[in-house]
Order: sequence, then C-alpha cells, then structure tokens
Amino acid sequence: MSTPEYLARRLLQLVPTLIAILVVVFALVRLLPGDPASAILGDRALDADVERINREYGFDRPIPVQFGIFVRQVLTGDLGDSTSLKVPVAQLIAERLPITMLLTLMAALISVALAVPLAFVAALCRDRLADGMIRGAFQVGLSMPVFYLGLILLTVFGARLGWFPVGGDGDGLLDLLYHLVLPAITLALSLAAVLMRNLRAAIIDVVDADYVTFARSKGLRGSLVLLRHVLRNALISTVALFGLSIGTLLGGAVVTETVFAIPGAGRLMVDSITGRDYPVVQGLTLALAVLVSLTFLLTDLLQAWLDPRIAR
Amino acid sequence: MTRLLMTGASAAALIALAFGAEAQERGGTMTYGRYADSLFLDPVLNDANVDIWILSNLYDTLLLPTEDGQGVEAGLATDWSVAEDGLSVTLTMRDGIMFSDGTPITTEDVVWSLDRARNPENGIWNFLLASIASVEATDDKTVTLTLSQPDPAILPALTVFNSAILPKAAFEAAAGATDAEKAQAFSEAPIGSGPFVLESWERGSTMRLVRNEHYWATGEDGQPLPYLDGVTFEVIPDDATRILRLQSGEIDGAELIPFARVAELQNAPGIQMELFPSTRVEYITLNVRPEIEGEANPLADPLVREAMNYAANKEAIVQVVTFGVGTPQTSYMSSATPLHTGTEPLFPYDLARAQELMAQSGYPDGFSTTLLVLAGNQDEIGIGTALQQMWSQIGIDLELQQVDNATRTEEYRNGTFDMRVAAWTNDIADPGQITSYFAYSPTIDALHSGWRNEEVDQLFEASQSETDPATRAEQYARIQEIFNSTGPTIPLYETPYPVALQERVHGFVQIPLGNNIFRSAWLDQ
Repeated sequence: MSTPEYLARRLLQLVPTLIAILVVVFALVRLLPGDPASAILGDRALDADVERINREYGFDRPIPVQFGIFVRQVLTGDLGDSTSLKVPVAQLIAERLPITMLLTLMAALISVALAVPLAFVAALCRDRLADGMIRGAFQVGLSMPVFYLGLILLTVFGARLGWFPVGGDGDGLLDLLYHLVLPAITLALSLAAVLMRNLRAAIIDVVDADYVTFARSKGLRGSLVLLRHVLRNALISTVALFGLSIGTLLGGAVVTETVFAIPGAGRLMVDSITGRDYPVVQGLTLALAVLVSLTFLLTDLLQAWLDPRIAR
Repeated sequence: MTRLLMTGASAAALIALAFGAEAQERGGTMTYGRYADSLFLDPVLNDANVDIWILSNLYDTLLLPTEDGQGVEAGLATDWSVAEDGLSVTLTMRDGIMFSDGTPITTEDVVWSLDRARNPENGIWNFLLASIASVEATDDKTVTLTLSQPDPAILPALTVFNSAILPKAAFEAAAGATDAEKAQAFSEAPIGSGPFVLESWERGSTMRLVRNEHYWATGEDGQPLPYLDGVTFEVIPDDATRILRLQSGEIDGAELIPFARVAELQNAPGIQMELFPSTRVEYITLNVRPEIEGEANPLADPLVREAMNYAANKEAIVQVVTFGVGTPQTSYMSSATPLHTGTEPLFPYDLARAQELMAQSGYPDGFSTTLLVLAGNQDEIGIGTALQQMWSQIGIDLELQQVDNATRTEEYRNGTFDMRVAAWTNDIADPGQITSYFAYSPTIDALHSGWRNEEVDQLFEASQSETDPATRAEQYARIQEIFNSTGPTIPLYETPYPVALQERVHGFVQIPLGNNIFRSAWLDQ
C-alpha cells in the first residue's frame, strides 16, 4: 500500500472514533451528579431559577432531542454557548487550546531533547557511573508530583533568581513562549524519564543485534552505525510510546496550568467540569480527541517511515 | 560623618513618611491577583461572587454601601427620602453625571435599569427589589419608587450591584433578540458609570480596567477619582503561586490568602497583610427531617443537635483550621450584619454536658452519619476531621464524603444529605437576606434542612415590612434567639477577608459584603 492510501485509510478510521467520542462525552457529562443550573446558581439556587435556566439552555428537553441538537451543531461547526461564561464554545477553544498545544509541544520537544542524548549516554555506558547518575536523576524527576516540581521551579527560577516570570501568560507570542519555559520543563521531566528509560533499553537491545554487528564488521564508522542503524531501530518503540504519552501530557497540563496560572485548555476543562458546563465539556473533549487522534496518526506515519513494514 | 548622613537620611525618610501618609499620589496601574476569573459582567444576570465582588468598579449604583458595610451613602443620587408611610422612596439625581462613553445619565436610564433589575424573569437577584411596584421619573432629576409594602431594606437594596444604572440606549442597541442575548453582547464592552471601564479581557488570565474619565466623585486632592490610571486583574488560581507573585513584586495585591499563610505574611517585610472585616460565616448544615430516604434521622432530635453543638470545640477548630484568624460565631449571622445580636460564642465547648444531652436523647448509644465536604478544600477537610474526632466522644461515628460542588449542591437541594460544610456571605447590608435563606422556611426550607419554626416565619414576614427600627431590631433579636438555640446548624466561625498588599498600596478596601473597592486606591510612585 502506498503512503497516500495508508493516510486515507487512517483518516477514515478517525470518523467512527470521533462519533463514539461524541456519544460517550454527551452521556458521561450528563451522568455526573448535578446539572448546569445548580452549578451556576450554587447553594442559593431557587427552584424557579433552576427551571428557568434549564429552559433557557434547552436542558429540560428529552435527552435524544438534546443529542440531536448537539450532533447538528457539531456538523455545522457550531459548538453552542458556554453556560457559565456565556460566550461561544468555539471562541473559548480557539483562545485556550493553542496555548495548551504550545505548552505540550514545548514539553514534548524538551523531553525528546533530554531523553535521546541521555539515553544514548546511559546505554553506551551501561551499568557504569554515568548510567547510574542519569537513571537516578530521572527517577527523582519521575517520582516528583507535577505541582510540587512546578512550585519549586517557580520559587527558585522565578521568585528567587528572577530568570523567569512567576506564572501567567504574558503579552504576545514571544512573551508567551518565555512564560511557558518553566511549565514546559515541569511537564517534560516525567515524560523525559519514561522516554529515556525506554530508549535506553531499546538501544541496548539494538546495539547487541546481529545487523549492527554486521554493519560494524563492514567497517562503517561508529557514529554512522549509531545514527543509521541503532537510533533508527531503537526509536520505533519510543515513537509509539511518545505518541501515546501525548494524551498523558495533555492531562498533566491541567495541573501545570493551574500552578503556573496559564489560561489553557486544561484549566478550562477542569473549570467546565466543575461548573457542569455541558457545551464546553463536549466541545473541548471533541477538540482534544481530534488533536490526540491526529497525533497518533502522525506517530504512526513516523513509525511507518522508520519501519516501512508497518504501513504494509 | 557617616552617622550624620544616616541621621539625615532617616529624618528625610520620616518626613516623607509623615507627608506621604497624607498625600494621595496619582497614576499607575494596580495589579491584583484573583483566585478565579469573572464569568459574566452583567449586573442583573450574573450569579457568582467572582462577578459581584468587582462589578461596582464598572457599574455605579444610586446609593453606595459605606465602608463598614452597615449603611448607605450618596452615589448617583445625592438625596433620598422614604415617605412617612414607607410606601415610596424619592431620589434626586446628581448633577452632570455621565456614563463612561460620555453620554448623560438620565432618569429614563434609571427607570429602565431598575425595571430590568426587578423583573422576576431576569436573574436571581430580583427578590432584593421585589417590594417595588413601579418606578417613575417625576422630572428629569427625580425618580420615585412606589412600593407595594413598606420595605426596611429598600435603601441598602439600591446599593447592591444588581440595581446598577446602565445606559438604556446602548444596551438596547446591542446585538441579540432577547434580554439575555443583549446582555451577553453588551457585557463584552460594558458601558457603566463606575470609577473604571473595561479595556480588555483575556478570559481565564487577565482583565484590564482603565479609569473612567467621566466618573463623578472627587478625591482628597480635589481632582476627580479614581487616583489610579487602571486596575489589572490577573487570574492565579493556585494559592502558593499567587503569594509567590506578590513576593516577587509582579503583582500589587493578592486575594484569598490561605489562613495558614497569614502569620507568615504579617511578618514579611514590604507586605501589608490585611484582614478586612467580612460577613462570612462558616457552619455545618444538618438535615433535620424526621426521615432521610426512608431511614430514621437522628439529627431530627433537638437533644442530639444540642449535644453535637456542645461537643464541637469551635475555639479549637478556629485554631486548627483558620490558624487563629477566625472567631467563633455569636449568632448565625456575622457580627458585621446590621441587627446582629449576641456577644458570647454560641454553645461553648462542654463535653460533659454534651454527653449528658446524648444520654437523654433518643440515641444514647450514638449513631453513624455523614458529612459532605468539598474535595480538595483544606479548610473543609480540616473542619470535618476535627469534628470526626470531637463527635466520637459522644458516640457519633462520622464519615467524611468528599464530593465536588455540583454533586453536593444536588444532594443539598434534594434534601438527601445528612450534613454538609457551608459558608455564607451577605450581599446586602441587611439581615433579611441571610435570614430568608437560613431561617424562613418558605425560601429554601431553611438551608434545605427541613427545619421550620412558625414563630420565626411570622416574625420574618412581619420584619420585611416593619419600618420602625426598634421593633424590627426586636423581631430580629427573637429570630436569632430561636434559631441560635434550636436551629439546624452547627455555627463554627466568622473570618475576615485575608488580602495581602504591597507596601506601596493605599486606600484599597474589601467591604464586609465582599466588594473590592479600587476607587480610592493609590500607589506610591
């Protein structure tokens, strides 16, 4: 099968996935105790006010009717209005999701930049001091809670040393990137630790494989062997792991965004679940699902490139 | 020589300090760290403290609450009088007042704004203006409110955010077919007559207010208020981060400092740790219905409730949860509420008496029950854990159930909960609002507890149209006596609003009703 065909097949597979997500998120958010009206009005809500709000947003209509309206909205690209913020959901997603995507991307790049070289060093110095130190350091990074690590970075590099701003999102893209450095590092460390361990193990396997020994025996230079044979083959499983980790990374963004006061999609999601803001939860979940699916697709393509057997 | 220099320098500093304390400086933008962002900036249709505690900076009202939160003073109206029979209120408008866009504020705007605010179809605050039968502009300076019955709380009601005056023409010109849609469009770029105007709003992150050039009030220096060029709200949900940003000098103030950090910030150089008097009370609500979901309910037994009250060591809870910042309640309403009575803490800790009361009750061997606490809320978890231990002394096996707010609200409204932790803040300088929710059963079954007392219901109804202050005070004294001794709550403590400010901030207040007032705030330049 050619690459365009493979791509088309994978994109088609997305459709049923997204439909399933649509149904599940619509049902799940309604299975939670409480409803938008009580969440909006809180403890002092009077019955008449709750009924009025449910009527205004159509939450008093039969569930199948609500689902029909939701599907029709999604198909026309309209995700409805937020019940708590009274603005279009699409606008909220457009404002908040790019920040989270940027944060996730930065974290992903940082974790790869940390994991790949260190995995090599660790693997090639297997069971020696450097290996132990690298693995030890990452063990600490992996086991430290994200909010705690974030606060330490904020206190030391933000408040004490003044190298970075103490949270917030700044003005403009460059300032935003500057504000995202510490949160991205916070988010990156645990992923870097997982990737590093995985890649280290993979490299050790590959280094001992026959084809590498063969390549060396052909007289290829060490670095060329490392790049063309070892890295490429060792990366296959790590890329898969990396793709799967994007979802986790997005989850970690929730905590990171709270600690660093970044108005991203993670915080929006938490706020809207707490506020039973059905339209926002539905719309945002859908957007995130599309994003994660596309990431999976991208990693699959990358894997196919690394190992052409996969696309066949 | 060095000593001389030092003395000279400190003398200069002292002089600067002495004069600096007097002279307000103008200019600058004050950055204020909030725990959560606002949701919806319409004064009538909003529902949450995150909105109403800042709305008065954007929208002005006919009357203003005094800084102690107990009385009223002139706002857009300079004179006001309630008729002898209590059935009408006449207000005289201030001369030359304008909205932030420079258009004049007319009596037509006032009539339209109050009619919108009191419309029962609009929002959840219209009950505050329910006594108004009609609003009329008698001439271009005078507005008369005709009341369907005398209302002792009508003047405080005119200070509440929902009675803010909006420009009728601009609101009606906003996009949308319904009032709600127009409000949505209008509040994106609101026009009011408060000291500040909304300049930009990045939801979840930053809200910028700039000074309203047309604001009517004059500062101490004879120039128009506000002193500040602007106020910027930064949303910083994490407590520790909010404090860090204050300490690093990135923000000028931070709200809702956790009680655990108050003492530390009181001793921190360069920071003023303010504890603004508030109307906030923290308490446990008990479901007192005879049966809950078909099971006999021990909390229905008044002796049990009395025993639980005496066994709950409020002083200890104040120490453990609020680190000594709070004070035990002396009535169900905070001591900052008008007509509050009581000087002694309710049910002072007395374990022997509690055990005796339990022995006389229908549950001498104790029972098991549950308490709903907000998941992740350290104060509520602290309260629950303390009570668990205290009530085990009288044979009560307490299970803490951590839930999120919407879940708790559902159980609360359905009356299926046993007990819950709760907090309350007044929105109006009058005891009527809190009493309506806490004690008057027709509103929400007395905090959804199922508690009912005929005398309290009658006294409350009478007090709502009682114009003689002395009689009304007596009615409230009796309501408090009954509710405080037999009501469906375990009163715990009242707390101030903990706000930390940079040393250079002056004149900022959070009044007991929670409103953040920036109009007289200023910064050392």
